[in-house]
Amino acid sequence: MREEIVIAVAGNPNTGKTTLINALAGTRLRVGNWPGVTVEKKEAQLEMNGIKIRLVDLPGTYSLSPFSLEELIARDFLVREKPDVVLNVVDATNLERNLYLTLQLLETGRPVVLVLNMYDEALRKGLRIEVEKLSQLLKIPVIPTVAIKGDGLREALEAAIRVAREKPKPFLEYGQEMEKALSELENWLKHWNSFLPESIPLRWLAIKLLEGDPKVKEETGIQELPDLPSLRHLLSAHGEPGEILAEARYGVASGVVKECVHREGLRPDLSEKLDRILLHRYLGFPLFLAMMWLLFKLTFDLSSPFVDWLDQVVNTALAPTLARGLHFLSAPEWFQALILEGIVAGVGTVAVFIPVIAAMMFWITFLEGSGYLARAAFVMDRAMHTVGLHGKSFIPLLLGFGCNVPSVYATRVLESRRDRILTAFLAPFMSCGARLPVYVLFAGAFFAYRAGTVVWSLYLLGIGMALLLGLFLQKTLLKGEPGFLVMELPPYRLPRGKYLLIHTWEKTRHFVIKAGTYILVMSVAVWFLLNFPAGKGVEGSYLARLSRTIAPVFEPLGFGRWEAAASLITGVMAKEVVVSTLGEIYGAGAGETEAPPESIGRAWGEVLKALPRAFLEAGSNLLAGLYPVSLEPEPAQASLISKIRSTFTPLSAYSFMVFTLLYMPCMVFLAAFYAEFRSLRLTALLICLNLGLAYILALALYQTGRFLGYGG
Amino acid sequence: MRLSEIKPGTKVKIVRMAEAPPVLKRRLLDMGVLSGEPLLVERMAPLGDPIEIKIKGYRLSLRREEAEKILVEVIP
Repeated sequence: MREEIVIAVAGNPNTGKTTLINALAGTRLRVGNWPGVTVEKKEAQLEMNGIKIRLVDLPGTYSLSPFSLEELIARDFLVREKPDVVLNVVDATNLERNLYLTLQLLETGRPVVLVLNMYDEALRKGLRIEVEKLSQLLKIPVIPTVAIKGDGLREALEAAIRVAREKPKPFLEYGQEMEKALSELENWLKHWNSFLPESIPLRWLAIKLLEGDPKVKEETGIQELPDLPSLRHLLSAHGEPGEILAEARYGVASGVVKECVHREGLRPDLSEKLDRILLHRYLGFPLFLAMMWLLFKLTFDLSSPFVDWLDQVVNTALAPTLARGLHFLSAPEWFQALILEGIVAGVGTVAVFIPVIAAMMFWITFLEGSGYLARAAFVMDRAMHTVGLHGKSFIPLLLGFGCNVPSVYATRVLESRRDRILTAFLAPFMSCGARLPVYVLFAGAFFAYRAGTVVWSLYLLGIGMALLLGLFLQKTLLKGEPGFLVMELPPYRLPRGKYLLIHTWEKTRHFVIKAGTYILVMSVAVWFLLNFPAGKGVEGSYLARLSRTIAPVFEPLGFGRWEAAASLITGVMAKEVVVSTLGEIYGAGAGETEAPPESIGRAWGEVLKALPRAFLEAGSNLLAGLYPVSLEPEPAQASLISKIRSTFTPLSAYSFMVFTLLYMPCMVFLAAFYAEFRSLRLTALLICLNLGLAYILALALYQTGRFLGYGG
Repeated sequence: MRLSEIKPGTKVKIVRMAEAPPVLKRRLLDMGVLSGEPLLVERMAPLGDPIEIKIKGYRLSLRREEAEKILVEVIP
């Protein structure tokens, strides 16, 4: 016996596969990536009855076609790594379509155990499934389970171990004609004296060649099917080779279902009823908007008190504690500054995003697990598709108005990489909350009672740019990559709290570890620019020198002063930093430094006391309506405003705001984008596109304005 | 007739698939959209596109431009 049994877990989306994996693996689950790609890979080492088990979760797919990354990963693992057994999770309420994948799993020659999940739901729906018979017909063990309750999981694992030891050779016939053609093709393959990929099951190769699988054609070098009598016969009788196998599989699947699944009395389907309301001709759209408003509110209002709280923890408790400690150790001054101003600031930046990302992930997972997400896409697809996006893209883009960073993570609701990249590219054009302080300051300083209109115009400009860029990208970067819908509308289900929490935890952790590292490095770099050479003040810093060098570039846009350039450089950290940098340079910002606490213990005490308050506030935020955002600049900014008035004109102020809106996503976004898509090329392209667009637009605006006589 | 032209509430049978990009064709086949298969056009989205069909006991949504590639006949 081998030391370790490898169990692959495969299944359609929406079958409760993830719940099953989580229940089996618990805390031993490790989340990583499949080598070389950004598709998530979950693995766990288990032990049962003294046997070591390696559980590998394959991406959820409907098929093993070669057209999506997920499907390629799944099938490559099955044919090349040859797991000892495949646990195939199927939705008992929707057996026929699920069996289509089961049959393809069997084609790979791996032993399969069928996990008949959501068995309770099938019973409630009035379906009677003859489990024994199903097992006989498919010639594999079938275990009914209810993964969310943990029912049957042990039995499924035991069956998998048993099968792994017996090493059966599963085989399911597709009818005489087909089998004859396949075996002739297999024979022909045996004599094909080329470099056949070693140890790949011949039957699988034969099936894929017959299907016209482009990937297998390429790998084997066999472009044309040989002229075999049985093949000729099969093709002449059934037409297109691509369809023959799909028909054969579905033929078997529907035959099996007819024999084993009996409908006993029709129970009204809850999904049917809900859809009649939620997808209603006239109610559907308003309900969708209400749902999206709720999602936005639950994400940002619920998390904002915790954002403030974490900010407080870092700045009033953690920082003084570290300062005291470093002072006590008599660490060199530059080192103290590095830790306190560089690293702590970076930690603070990462920390304040945690509540937002966690809240967003929680609600998105809820929407996805409940089945409404697919409906949201269904309702919104027409509008989104006109600019080449998928209906589901609406959600990440909507969240972008709160903060662009969770948008990156929300793109995971999309299946295809094309749609995910396109959506993530457009997300930074949704004017996020951090840009608002910049608008408030400048619009307040120059446009007084028309400030609202000005701010509104910037939001619209962002959306307009996103639409144009979306169309442009489809014609260029993403050309030839088709986007299509063909999407299942899964039954409505109430997701379990535990499942939501696990998902939320995984994504938040990913952000903290992956994106957090880059953020830390970048904040130290910015700190360095601002504080060195030592003792020269802001005016003499590297930042000022750098800003003076690049400032002339912004002259044609109306803001060629180094102060503006400096604020744009630090603004990459986060857009609201534009305001604080200007304040710092003009010596007018500060004022909001909090009084140092008398003792460290007291500071931590305050922080602890503030936590229940944050919960209360989150609760009251939830109850309160949507309060209007104040567009009045804070009184403390009065001197900053007068400085700005003396260096900007209304036209150059507007040009500056446009540039701020577009010029670059903040570094947290970039870090998250890179962590998510793992492509330097795409990240660089994103930056260049944004910079270029911002420059051209601000330039056109300022110069046109001057030509029309608005500038001074 | 094309599936995209069918009114909601109508039962149809798939005759065959018209010319379509291979990726789309494969995806449709994988989802059980096969010649001879009966299906019910359940509804269209509030904005008129996409449409929802019930096939093989589950719900599937398709854009009209995708449904256009599927030739069907009405089941009387």
